[in-house]
Amino acid sequence: MRYMLVVLGLAAHAQPVVIPLGLDAYMPVPESNPLTAEKIALGKKIFFDKRVSADGTIACATCHQPAYGFTDNVPRAVGIRGQVGPRRSPRITNRGYGRSFFWDGRAATLEDQVTQPISNPLEMDSTPADAARRLGISQALLRDALASYVRSLTSGNSRYDRYLAGDSGVLRAEEKLGLKLFTGKAGCSSCHVGPNLTDEKFHNTGAGKLPDEGRAAVTGRVADRGAFKTPSLRDVAHTPPFLHDGSMTTLDEVIRFYDEGGRPNAQLDPEIRKLHLSDAEKAALKAFLFTLEADK
Amino acid sequence: MNKALLGGGLAVLARAEEPQKPHLEWTGAAVSLLGSPSPDGRWLSFMDPATGALSLHDLKGGPDRVIAERPPQSREFAYFSTFDRSGDAVAYAWSNASGFYELRMVGSAGGAVRILFKNEQVGFVQPCAFTPGNKQILTLLFRRDNTSQIALVPVDGGAPRVLRSLNWVYPKRMDVSPDGRWLVYDNLTEEGSADRGLFLLSMDGAKERRISGLPRNSLFPLWSADGRAVYFTGDDGGAQRIYRVGVVDGVAAQEPGAVSEPMGRLLLMGMGGGRLFFGVRTGAPDIFIASLHGEVKRVNSQWSGRNTVPAFSADGRALAYLSRRGAENFGQQARSIVVNVDGKEREIDPKMAHVERLAWSPDGGHLLVAGSDGKGRSGLFLVRVSDGATTPLVAAHDGPFRGYEAVWSVDGKRIYLIRGDSELVEYTLAGTQEKVLLKAAGLRRLAISPDGATLAVSMGDVAIRLTPLQGDAPARIVSFPGLTDLAWGRQLLAGRRAEIWTVPLDGAAATRLLSHPERQPGMSTAPDGRTAFYGGVERNAVFSLRVP
Repeated sequence: MRYMLVVLGLAAHAQPVVIPLGLDAYMPVPESNPLTAEKIALGKKIFFDKRVSADGTIACATCHQPAYGFTDNVPRAVGIRGQVGPRRSPRITNRGYGRSFFWDGRAATLEDQVTQPISNPLEMDSTPADAARRLGISQALLRDALASYVRSLTSGNSRYDRYLAGDSGVLRAEEKLGLKLFTGKAGCSSCHVGPNLTDEKFHNTGAGKLPDEGRAAVTGRVADRGAFKTPSLRDVAHTPPFLHDGSMTTLDEVIRFYDEGGRPNAQLDPEIRKLHLSDAEKAALKAFLFTLEADK
Repeated sequence: MNKALLGGGLAVLARAEEPQKPHLEWTGAAVSLLGSPSPDGRWLSFMDPATGALSLHDLKGGPDRVIAERPPQSREFAYFSTFDRSGDAVAYAWSNASGFYELRMVGSAGGAVRILFKNEQVGFVQPCAFTPGNKQILTLLFRRDNTSQIALVPVDGGAPRVLRSLNWVYPKRMDVSPDGRWLVYDNLTEEGSADRGLFLLSMDGAKERRISGLPRNSLFPLWSADGRAVYFTGDDGGAQRIYRVGVVDGVAAQEPGAVSEPMGRLLLMGMGGGRLFFGVRTGAPDIFIASLHGEVKRVNSQWSGRNTVPAFSADGRALAYLSRRGAENFGQQARSIVVNVDGKEREIDPKMAHVERLAWSPDGGHLLVAGSDGKGRSGLFLVRVSDGATTPLVAAHDGPFRGYEAVWSVDGKRIYLIRGDSELVEYTLAGTQEKVLLKAAGLRRLAISPDGATLAVSMGDVAIRLTPLQGDAPARIVSFPGLTDLAWGRQLLAGRRAEIWTVPLDGAAATRLLSHPERQPGMSTAPDGRTAFYGGVERNAVFSLRVP
């Protein structure tokens, strides 16, 4: 099957992406790749098409499954020929608001990011040129369509969003306490901040069980060793396992890890410290994290 | 004409008007700059500083009109406000009984108040403008997680629609174009920069553009009545002026031109009756040093007229003070810390969003700084004098924005602080342990004796409690009506507004050391008896310019 881009002639200001409650109406989109319904539709087809991989066994959706909030349910990504990658497949909803991409931020734009897994020998082990040829489109269209589709993947209108919008009764007392802890005593919002609950920056929390240079592999800076990009917490409660290497399987483990001040190391972020949360406070924090599930 | 500024194929607008002489509209102690003019230019909404009520000032000379009163005995008050486009209603921020701001609306003749938005996770709101047809209010929301948001709040109820989220540095002003297609706001030109620029955002959120070629520190944008230009303030290398830049379809279509002479510290308030209303802040605070005998000299500073809250180092060699930076600011006033040693000034740039008070560590290596940081924590921070490295000390996400009143112990191992006007707390640096020394109402000011044996704590504004830190001696109360501040060097000093008094510890009558016009609370003494304080009162005035 050969893909074709059919331009329907949308009005100049038509918004092909519906922004749910809680997210900014403004999403930065490069002028070189304006969002159109046609490109999003094409990108969706490509996203689920296994022909982008060298042996036709892996699609983007293999690791970024809609049923799992556009990640998967295994600790680390499984690519071509059953190879296991070093890190967890990140959730890719709301990445249209991102400022850098991948756990280590090695891609500066979505257009740069979307074709890298195609070239990665652990993931699809192909090239964008070969993938585009197999799909019968240009490399540029492959890139732009995939990036457009990823921009269309949003997660919002959660109970948390409805609460922030003024519906004070939508959260239970325990969830409200959890939110208060989240922005207060527990200090979660030092990094998990803003509409997408991420500062888009890199922090060493001591998390992870495998040796991994993290951000330092990109910057070469010792200070960035073991630092990974703050993930969004949207839909987090329903998308285990957790952390950049999927090394924790429950939210209780994660909350306990941060309550104890992460794992000490030379590059530990100064924001990570013992929290002294009570059991009730940990439970409230966990309850709050469940309010971040998007209204399907 | 800078052709690079021209939109493709767009006609060039008329030349910017020549600088004009402004007309003084309102001056006096009651003037606040938190409101806006009515569309016909007859009224100015304002928060009455004496009552906290939302009021309208009659620019034709009639009596002011209260339109939203504060309940008796409450600590609630009105804050920013803006008229709707018909002049029939005013949207305003209201600090409620729970201590956070909600968005309210009331008729311009008073009457029933409606709450349009209220959420404890959104601690601050600032209504800026109504959309055409008065259907929505362009409002700044500031969340507890330190995110500021540009939002449209429906007048008839419903959830706010967030157009754009920004970090903790929020726009000073936003406005909606008369055709309702664009909004304009100011923001940092890039992360980490202190410079602000103007941005246009389409009301559907689809497009954002920065207006290029503007003067430095462009602030407080307002659309012209015909929607063909944006007025704003800028400070291209000097005092602020008002500028105008032509804008067509979201694109700058004309070089910016000054429409006023340099005028000091400005902020634009709104358009009404064919005039542009703006506020001017006056007042130039400076640091003064009094000798043991009360002779007073002004401290020479390259930032003269901007300096407040002095603190002597323990050996008296260094004097630190806060120094305002940038142009007009509400709330997030930009302040630097200046260290002055033998007349040589050096700036320290702490990694903080707001700094309020200073205290030197006994070894002179650190400053204890009250305030808040960009992560939304408030309280006390340690700032290393050599390089400004900043560490939260007693700081939390739900702490007070202005931090705590605090002093060091003489051995540098402990800090004494006042929390919530009701607790005197001893904080041990090693081990980060806290111990409450005293619980009482009205605790505000704190000083420690040079030998470290006694704390002086203000009890409301009527007395000083001398609290022994060693031994079993009981605390003593010394009456001092009108108390505003404390310091303790060779002698215990108490401030009473413009005056500084020496307070004998044996209960004898206090003696007036000096009186200095416009002295403000906040003083510090050196071991040789010199006392540093600051003076200078800020006042507001409202002016207008006739604009096309």
